[in-house]
Amino acid sequence: MSAYRMSELIDDRPADGVFRINRALFSDPELFALEQHYIFEGGWVFIGMASQALQPNDFFTGLIGRVPIIVSRSEDGVLNGFINACPHKGARIAQQLSGNARLHVCPYHSWTFDSSGANRNIKWRSGGCYGAGFDREDHDLARIPRFGEYRGFLFASLNPDVPSLDDYLGEARKLLDLVADQSSEGVELVPGAVRFTYAANWKMQLENCSDQYHFTSTHPSYIRILEARAREQKNDVVQSTLGGSDFWKEDAEGPTGGTFSFEHGHVLNWGLMAVTPALPLYERADEIAERIGTARRNWMFNMRNLTIFPNLQIAENASSQLRVIRPIAHNLTEMQTWCIAPRGESAEARRTRIRQYEDFFNPTGMATPDDTVVYEECQMGMARQERPWLQGHARGLTASVEGGNAYSEMIGLNPQRSVLGQAQTCDESLFHSYYRAWATRMQDGLA
Amino acid sequence: MTLLTDREAELFLYGEALLLDEGRYDAWVELFTPDAIFWMPAWKSESEQTSDPDSELSLIYYHGRSNLEDRIKRIRSGMSVASKVRLRVMHALSNVMVIARAPGTATISSCFIVNLVDVRAGRTHAFFGRYEHELVHGESGWRISRKVIRLLNDVVPTLLDIYSI
Repeated sequence: MSAYRMSELIDDRPADGVFRINRALFSDPELFALEQHYIFEGGWVFIGMASQALQPNDFFTGLIGRVPIIVSRSEDGVLNGFINACPHKGARIAQQLSGNARLHVCPYHSWTFDSSGANRNIKWRSGGCYGAGFDREDHDLARIPRFGEYRGFLFASLNPDVPSLDDYLGEARKLLDLVADQSSEGVELVPGAVRFTYAANWKMQLENCSDQYHFTSTHPSYIRILEARAREQKNDVVQSTLGGSDFWKEDAEGPTGGTFSFEHGHVLNWGLMAVTPALPLYERADEIAERIGTARRNWMFNMRNLTIFPNLQIAENASSQLRVIRPIAHNLTEMQTWCIAPRGESAEARRTRIRQYEDFFNPTGMATPDDTVVYEECQMGMARQERPWLQGHARGLTASVEGGNAYSEMIGLNPQRSVLGQAQTCDESLFHSYYRAWATRMQDGLA
Repeated sequence: MTLLTDREAELFLYGEALLLDEGRYDAWVELFTPDAIFWMPAWKSESEQTSDPDSELSLIYYHGRSNLEDRIKRIRSGMSVASKVRLRVMHALSNVMVIARAPGTATISSCFIVNLVDVRAGRTHAFFGRYEHELVHGESGWRISRKVIRLLNDVVPTLLDIYSI
């Protein structure tokens, strides 16, 4: 239980045109401990892709908050999620990131579990002189209380008392559809995972993905290179999809994009982009339009940064990235990142996608390091001080309307709120959705 | 045609490392042939690296020296906060072995540890792994036609630029 009252942390007064966040959300270790408990271990989080365990007995491991988990496909093909800890003494029963195993034998005392989590052997049980209490206990791997899949995206909750996954994802499912429908065979993670850390709060990443305002300020060095490459049209360097689009340029005219926010903290910011050959998806533009309609096809070519609160982000801009946010401390975060791509795309499209990805998204590339260094600069400024309130959640307030707009209607999307942006709108009011979801999950932990 | 000696191989690598340590990027990039490959694969499991840069992800994959020139432009642009305060770096190389040698070409394997001081953030760390250099001999001496950087500790603390490995 924290000493803070919610109103001291989030100043949410729509009628007065006020929305402010206290720096303590980024810098207080006690609040961070509550976040682990009430947000990451207290509700739905993204845990991986079904494609990471395709065959019977395939498994992969991970963490929900601080709790080790294993996702395993049973002999008969059913995916399940378990706590990756032996009921006996707590040892992780699987140590690898992924693999295939019909049986998992605990490395400590050889208790054995099958791929459906059932206990198949307790070593020397009959000679063990166990009491009646032990025999009454469940010796199988503990199931993660809630586990579900939406179109290949896997989610789980350590807290059983949560809405159904369909209710949780709500309208944001239609945005996951725009990812999953890029191929009739679905999507896959390109081999090769990239992980990096930064010394700042996890919510810096949460916000930055949806922050159109920073692009021309934080990334001018990258933008300059894109512009030069577009001018020179050299063959041996990577041309970016961003080079030929206008949504981020200060002098663009008319609506350039905007934001949608949804219940439970999910948000999208998006920019208008044409159906152009700069995107690897172009090769199947006609096929997609035939399969799911022109409107949804056209939306797939828009720049889209989607957050499924609290830890999944899918960024489709310079390329296509799936990232998972793993908070480690109030001032330390690990990012797990993959290139997500439609199955069955041509070798040439895949190559282009990968090259665009490495340039922009990698911590070894030309854009992400400018983000992560800025997060760390922000973290320094989050130290407790006389003026606790940040001024970073105020843009777009008077442009925000209830419900959707013409662009969401095109694909039958019903957001809770939306902003249709001009080039310099750069809405920040979509972040309110994050913090209202934060407040809902954290309520029980505050005074 | 010229045959690369063991000693020449060592001095070539040490020379390249010094240029990176001292931030002498123009001289460093001159060590590469115009169509050189500069490749740092990613890891796809605990023990296996990606091996096909066209169908698998790399940390860095460049085919063509002009990509390295772009990186240098970004470092010098004054428009990249990540490049504003250059990390202090020291490349230490060892286990240098010429593993293939023919007139005018050579392949060298080596180990590297790069110690870094991130002065801005007030922290010290290290990147380590193995290099594979393929060299070709031309009018201006030995040049790198392909450099593979096998980074073992691949969880990157905040940033990794071309001078950090």
